[in-house]
Amino acid sequence: MAAEATTTRQIAMVLDLNKCIGCQTCTVACKKLWNTDTGSGYAYWNNVETLPGAGYPRNWTGSGGRTATGEVKTGKVPNLDDEYGRAWSFNHEEVRARSGEGASKPWLRPDKPPRWGANWDEDRGAGDYPAENHYFYLPRLCNHCTHPACLDACPRHAIEKRGEDGIVLVDQDRCHGYRFCVEACPYKKVYFDPQRQVTTKCIFCLPRLEEGVAPACARQCPGRLRFVGYLDDEDGPIWKLVHGFGVALPLHPEFGLGPNVYYVPPTGPPRLDEKGRPTGQPRIPTSYLVELFGERVHEALGTLERERAKRRRGEASELMDLLIAYDWNRSFALDSGTREVL
Amino acid sequence: MRGKVSLMAAPTGLSPGGYVSQAYADRSAPRTPLAELEAEKDGVLWRVRLSWACADPVRALGDEVDRFVDAAAVLAPIVPDAPWMTMGAPGKAVEGAMWRADRERPFGVRAEGLGSLERSVAPKGWEARAEWKSGRWQVEFELPGWKALDAGRQLAIAVWQGAEADRGGLKSVSAGWIRVGT
Repeated sequence: MAAEATTTRQIAMVLDLNKCIGCQTCTVACKKLWNTDTGSGYAYWNNVETLPGAGYPRNWTGSGGRTATGEVKTGKVPNLDDEYGRAWSFNHEEVRARSGEGASKPWLRPDKPPRWGANWDEDRGAGDYPAENHYFYLPRLCNHCTHPACLDACPRHAIEKRGEDGIVLVDQDRCHGYRFCVEACPYKKVYFDPQRQVTTKCIFCLPRLEEGVAPACARQCPGRLRFVGYLDDEDGPIWKLVHGFGVALPLHPEFGLGPNVYYVPPTGPPRLDEKGRPTGQPRIPTSYLVELFGERVHEALGTLERERAKRRRGEASELMDLLIAYDWNRSFALDSGTREVL
Repeated sequence: MRGKVSLMAAPTGLSPGGYVSQAYADRSAPRTPLAELEAEKDGVLWRVRLSWACADPVRALGDEVDRFVDAAAVLAPIVPDAPWMTMGAPGKAVEGAMWRADRERPFGVRAEGLGSLERSVAPKGWEARAEWKSGRWQVEFELPGWKALDAGRQLAIAVWQGAEADRGGLKSVSAGWIRVGT
């Protein structure tokens, strides 16, 4: 079992999957802020994948983490060609040199034919059109787990979980690039930089957080689907969504790590019958959501439906008001007295 | 001294943290079962030659994230009773040099127990030359003024096969300190 971290508070994030439009603004905001080094071209601390789908890295589930009885599961380090996907480089020089040459102009194209990428199967989804086709977007980042597999995996004690906020950090001065952390993380949210020969991961935008500013992925989200705050703040959005209303659930709780990123599960339009009429059955199979978020998804979906119904009847719903993020300031509760969004 | 040295898989059960000891519990066979070792002193210079079979040398990571490079290290105890198995212990340090196939110069290394290894710029004049030929790595360390070996006259060796994903505690090691002369 992982060394128990002495965390006094835990920062957390909730993402409402009903509002994610897959625009990748979070991905770009994170990438531009933290991952522009040569060796991190392939690495996305934040990515948005289409589900059902293979994700990034491809088929990442099931490598590492723990069993239901707490036993360590051996993971693997994904490769670039088939799992992460290599960062693309393009034939800019060729195009520039030959522009204006006759009728035959070279196309701008990747130097090497790509085989996979962070967003390769976007919008593919599953199910037969038009009766039951479905997909939704799943933004993913480090879960800053309560029992981090990466921390447990590092023989050099190069990974720590901060006591004051539970953020999991790599000490790159101590890291020797063994990549046991990459193997052990079942979410595959630790990355290796082959140029610097150290591992890297989401730092929950620590420098921003310490100034009372939400992480870039949350702050830049056009859909306002992200909520940030402390798990124990009963006046904040996280406690309300996770514990109060119970509609925000961890991804793959069966991995046994206590992830601190939570998701409001997606609901979709109903399936259609053979005549194209709504059936009342969910288009996104609930069994699939159970695979992702566990059995509590039934209760969460029920609560969401009840609260939506209240709204439709014109009644008040604190949950719906919170989720719609009409007052964006309520989405971020980082420091009492901090009004993050003006 | 000059001779063949049987190597063993470093026991993963001792690895700090909870992952390696369980995930690699079955890694009991050394990826490099045998090495040849030659150590001689020439004035203040220790010359240590190591060679071992390596069918698939890995000289550099390149851009790859799932590749591990070949490496080797020689260690000596700073105090006579520094334990070999755990690379020293608090207050009982070991030190030496580490060659990696992707580096021009060796690291200087020092440890006081598993997980405590510190890499640094090797002392002045410490060098490592390596050649892969006919399926074998041959690495020659030149380690002038290595006082720990002067004093103790014993060393331990470790070999990492990159193609076998050896790194950190996943390595082949000599089964104890090796006497290198009187």
